[in-house]
Amino acid sequence: MSTTLTPPEADIGARDRALAEDQAADARAKRTKLVHYAGMPLFLLVVTVALLLYIQGSELDSIETRSLAANVQFTRLQEHLLLTGVSTFFVLLLAIPLGIAATRPRVRKYAPIVIGLGNAGQAIPSLGALALLFFLFRTVDWLPSTGTIPVVVSLIAYSFLPILRNTMVGLDQVDANVLEAGRGMGMSNRLVLRRLELPLAVPVILAGVRTALVLNVGTAALAFLFGGGGLGETIQAGFQLNRQPVLVFGAVSVAILALLVDYLAGLVEEVLTPRGL
Amino acid sequence: MTDQTNDTKQYDKETAIGGDAAVGETMIELRDLTKRYPGEETPAVDRVSMEIPKGEIVVFVGPSGCGKTTTLKMINRIIEPTSGNIIIDGEDVTTIDPNHLRRRIGYVIQQIGLFPHITIEGNVGTVPRLLGWDKDRTDARIDELLDVVGLDPAVYRSRYPKELSGGQRQRVGVARALAADPPVLLMDEPFGAIDPITRTRLQNEFLRLQEELQKTIAFVTHDIDEAIKMGDRIAILKEQSHIAQFATPEEILTNPANEFVEDFVGTGATLKRLKLTRVRDIAVVDDALIGRLDEPREDLQKRLKESEWTAMLLLDKDNKPARWLRAPDFRHDRPAAELGLPARAMVEKQATLSDALEEMLVGSAGVAIVVDGRGTYEGILDVDSIITSIQTMRDADAEFYRAAKLIDPADEVA
Repeated sequence: MSTTLTPPEADIGARDRALAEDQAADARAKRTKLVHYAGMPLFLLVVTVALLLYIQGSELDSIETRSLAANVQFTRLQEHLLLTGVSTFFVLLLAIPLGIAATRPRVRKYAPIVIGLGNAGQAIPSLGALALLFFLFRTVDWLPSTGTIPVVVSLIAYSFLPILRNTMVGLDQVDANVLEAGRGMGMSNRLVLRRLELPLAVPVILAGVRTALVLNVGTAALAFLFGGGGLGETIQAGFQLNRQPVLVFGAVSVAILALLVDYLAGLVEEVLTPRGL
Repeated sequence: MTDQTNDTKQYDKETAIGGDAAVGETMIELRDLTKRYPGEETPAVDRVSMEIPKGEIVVFVGPSGCGKTTTLKMINRIIEPTSGNIIIDGEDVTTIDPNHLRRRIGYVIQQIGLFPHITIEGNVGTVPRLLGWDKDRTDARIDELLDVVGLDPAVYRSRYPKELSGGQRQRVGVARALAADPPVLLMDEPFGAIDPITRTRLQNEFLRLQEELQKTIAFVTHDIDEAIKMGDRIAILKEQSHIAQFATPEEILTNPANEFVEDFVGTGATLKRLKLTRVRDIAVVDDALIGRLDEPREDLQKRLKESEWTAMLLLDKDNKPARWLRAPDFRHDRPAAELGLPARAMVEKQATLSDALEEMLVGSAGVAIVVDGRGTYEGILDVDSIITSIQTMRDADAEFYRAAKLIDPADEVA
């Protein structure tokens, strides 16, 4: 259709250049991809091996041996993962729909307030926040003062805001022209949300989920405050008993877990991000 | 439908400045359409009434903030009117389900708004899918449309918008708007965000397309030159979308209704008329001296010598212009395909004289070669024919002004 106005030589030259650039970019992408995917697992493997060698090499007394027994630590890991998983699950269930609701046209004008609150909530240190919740659970009679429930509730409360905020920011940054084009073609509001807004907000929402997950892995280490179990118990034991290997094992394993979760969440993020973005 | 049209004609003769709209059927009618935003004293759009004839491009043009885009967006109710009515093809659509309305109206916006996470095929197939077409029909339609806008379906179907250039994206935008073959198209500065060269090309392509499709199109631009080029009719809008003049481009250029229109159209009306007249409107030389690339050069030389022409145009096997030959070129001992100059400055029949003149100046040949959509040779256009046509226009203008003054001097003030 346009061939008549363009000298064909220019087209071909441009196409060749574009192809060459594409190939170069592909090669670069392949190298970075390898580093990108294999780097973190390798690093974590090295750290884990180093940690095990360190424990193996230390002369452990009976208390330390008991604390670091494989089955004990495995239970703590399970508890830790459960606390993180359950709280993240509920946070997603609550915060994403609320974020969607808060960006609908009728209430949109209040969105900046919610986002501001989200940012403020994020600034509170986790130990402080948990201590406050701990106090709340202790003083209010009808609330359980120990166990999994107060921990999960605290984790939900603490990671609620980043997900809410990212959901809102993610929906907010979707190109208004894309939405207008969708509406202009006769998509209902619900279709615009499902086919355009949510897929285009996915990268930002998932970044929020990833942040929340990592936060939860770290904050779940404070579950021992409520007697909620988890790897935090190991750290706590290390402190109380003044046993360095126990302390190091607990602290490093929480760090490894957090990095691993972050890495896995990053993979999920890549898979779920729509192509073409 | 004709009854309906007559009905609407009766309505409010003062404000429906339709001119000779009665000739064709009315496709879109706006009745006292008003948009008032809460908390603002003056309405953004104040009682616009207008009739858009079937199969025509009506351009809304005016200074920024005049309400032209608001007016356009009230037609598919992306912006809901505060009061007034929209009648499309005889049906009052002011209160029907807006989603159903919009599926019947093609919509192209300046920023195109392609869905970045969906392939070209998915983008173009949006409305057919909304309308519940089956897969085969949708697929066939997508291929057909990509072909129509000059994108090879095999190459582009499964690409994502970011893999396309600006001009290609705009083509996809047009294909997407045409997907369900809507009778009405709304275009909001569709070529606004594109570089000037591509814009001219897309405008020409679109005009050629429109010749076949005969859609009813409401088109917004702030550029009077684009309005003159694209519009069958132009509505020049003042603030609050008050219509300063609603007439054919010729009429607006030769007989501006008031000072506002005169100012807005600006100076250089003759140059603008060049944008109004198309190559197909003036006489094209179709008996130029033509040779073939594969002819023996002795034959070519002989024919050129015997003719009254100073140059000969060589065509390739597909009848596409290849090279210009002049007598001195034969001094060189090379095959015909390497003699002379490559043929440049090609224009299509839809191109305006302004485009053609520009091609000539760039090609420095003093002539432009007229080709069809596939690049096949059709004729030659030289500077003389353009100058003749300017002369004719100016004579006609002078006639027109004299006649207008004789008949009714009051017209000038209206």
